[in-house]
Amino acid sequence: MFSQIIINSLISGAIYALLALGFNLIYNSTKFFNLSHGTVGVAGGYVVYGLAQLWGWNFYLSLLIGLLSAGALGWFLNYFVFSALRRQKASNMTMLVASLGLFTILQALITIIFSSQFQILNQSLPQIYSLANASITQIQIIIILVTLLVAGALLLLLKKTLFGKMVRALSDDEGVAKIVGLNTEKIIGWVFFIGSAIAGLAFIFQGLDSGLEPSLGLGLLLKGVIAAIIGGVGNVYGSFVGAFLLAFVENFGIWKIAAEWKDAIAFALLVIFLLFRPQGLMKR
Amino acid sequence: MFYLIHIAIFCAIYGILAISLNLVLGYTGLLSVTQAAFYGLGAYATAILSTRFNLGFGESLLIGIAIVSVVSFLVGLVLSKLAGDYYAVATLGFNVIIVAVMLNWSALTNGPLGIAIFSKTTLFGLDFSSQPAFLALALFLLFLAYGIGYYLKKSSFGRVLKAIREDEKAIQVFGYNTTKYKLVIFVIGAALAAAAGSLFAAYISYVDPSSFATNESIFILSVIILGGLANLEGSILGAIFLVLLPELLRFVGFPEAVAAELRQAVYGLLLVILMLYRPQGLLGEYKL
Repeated sequence: MFSQIIINSLISGAIYALLALGFNLIYNSTKFFNLSHGTVGVAGGYVVYGLAQLWGWNFYLSLLIGLLSAGALGWFLNYFVFSALRRQKASNMTMLVASLGLFTILQALITIIFSSQFQILNQSLPQIYSLANASITQIQIIIILVTLLVAGALLLLLKKTLFGKMVRALSDDEGVAKIVGLNTEKIIGWVFFIGSAIAGLAFIFQGLDSGLEPSLGLGLLLKGVIAAIIGGVGNVYGSFVGAFLLAFVENFGIWKIAAEWKDAIAFALLVIFLLFRPQGLMKR
Repeated sequence: MFYLIHIAIFCAIYGILAISLNLVLGYTGLLSVTQAAFYGLGAYATAILSTRFNLGFGESLLIGIAIVSVVSFLVGLVLSKLAGDYYAVATLGFNVIIVAVMLNWSALTNGPLGIAIFSKTTLFGLDFSSQPAFLALALFLLFLAYGIGYYLKKSSFGRVLKAIREDEKAIQVFGYNTTKYKLVIFVIGAALAAAAGSLFAAYISYVDPSSFATNESIFILSVIILGGLANLEGSILGAIFLVLLPELLRFVGFPEAVAAELRQAVYGLLLVILMLYRPQGLLGEYKL
């Protein structure tokens, strides 16, 4: 039982971490809470479902197109909505409300096209391994490994490349970044593309491991946001640690009480952090 | 006629909800996305009290308001430490928790199946079950909510709220305890939403958790942003407009399931367009 809870925590922690990383990346450069982020990822997951299962395309090709289309959708929303709002010097509350509007539109469109039914992305029965009295599927091992890989790659991108330097300059001070000649809008566009593609990956994994439904967009994203806040908003390591802390608290929390209380436990953890350590585990 | 009165009753219910949120967001500048939670608590209070304890509408309304006042006071205490984006996310989270409680505390709420109410709507021994009588009751409560909002707006209390919205630091310098003001207006807003919930439960005679999810909070948000922030008439106008809009979509003739989602899409699109081109809404006096 104990080892199974640890494995379950690692899997949900991985998916929260992917969401928190993308959300955090976008927050860092734009300074607003983008609540449409999750549903953009859901759209990517449904692209994979549509191509691979409804049209019978090759799975890996569908996967690639799903990731790219989530990224492109994020880029597109930024270009036509958030970028326009930034040009008007809109407050971050205005941006948040606009992102709520986009979330509502996307969720409704996905439901109209694919119905609100639960969809599972892989049809074959997964290969199951046992590990210290607990079981883990092949897909779950892949999820954990790929998440570690993505987090490492993102960290390298931000710390070691010129692009990362530009993103960091932008998140420190957008005004100064502009003055020294950075094309901030272009960088923000790329940030949206990368962050949204990572969100797409999170929901593709979710679809492979348990299943997809349109309303997961906000529900899972809120977990990612909680992870980012308790880890320390703006800190890449923090988001990662926060995601696994959240997952462990949730999964050990439901050891003794009904699993339906998971969300309530997550938000209780958020409230505790906001009250006693609002800056999160790691400062920016 | 039946249909017109039905729509008028919903306009009144959403009018009350819009006023309740406008006091919090429009006048005080607190981006609360949890109004549906208090709306739902009020509705469940009426449903549970009238089915289990056989109380009339008036008693259940008052007890519902009392319960919501206590809950919103406690929530407000936690929220008073937060501002801006964090405030919005924490309120959204509270909404999620309340829906989880409604779904999972089956002994009290009957879970996802919801509660059907079979008793008549009575107030002080008078029967308000007939549709025109219920409309009168709903309009009376809307009028009352408007009166409360108008009184607050004109009072010195309301001026402090607006000052908090414009510059909280500055008003603190003048010695006002802004936390207290924000808490009071949050509780008043929640209590009004609970009254709207009681009306909803009594009218529909059925409550279930899905009516009070975060989508509903976002809907109430679009009502007041469309009508105009910090404008009470705007709230009522926004409610009428957004209640009528899906009825128009109904006549276009989409299948029911598609129409429901299309409605959501239209609300969302409206929010985005308003944020881009008119963030203060139709009659608004304040921009987010």
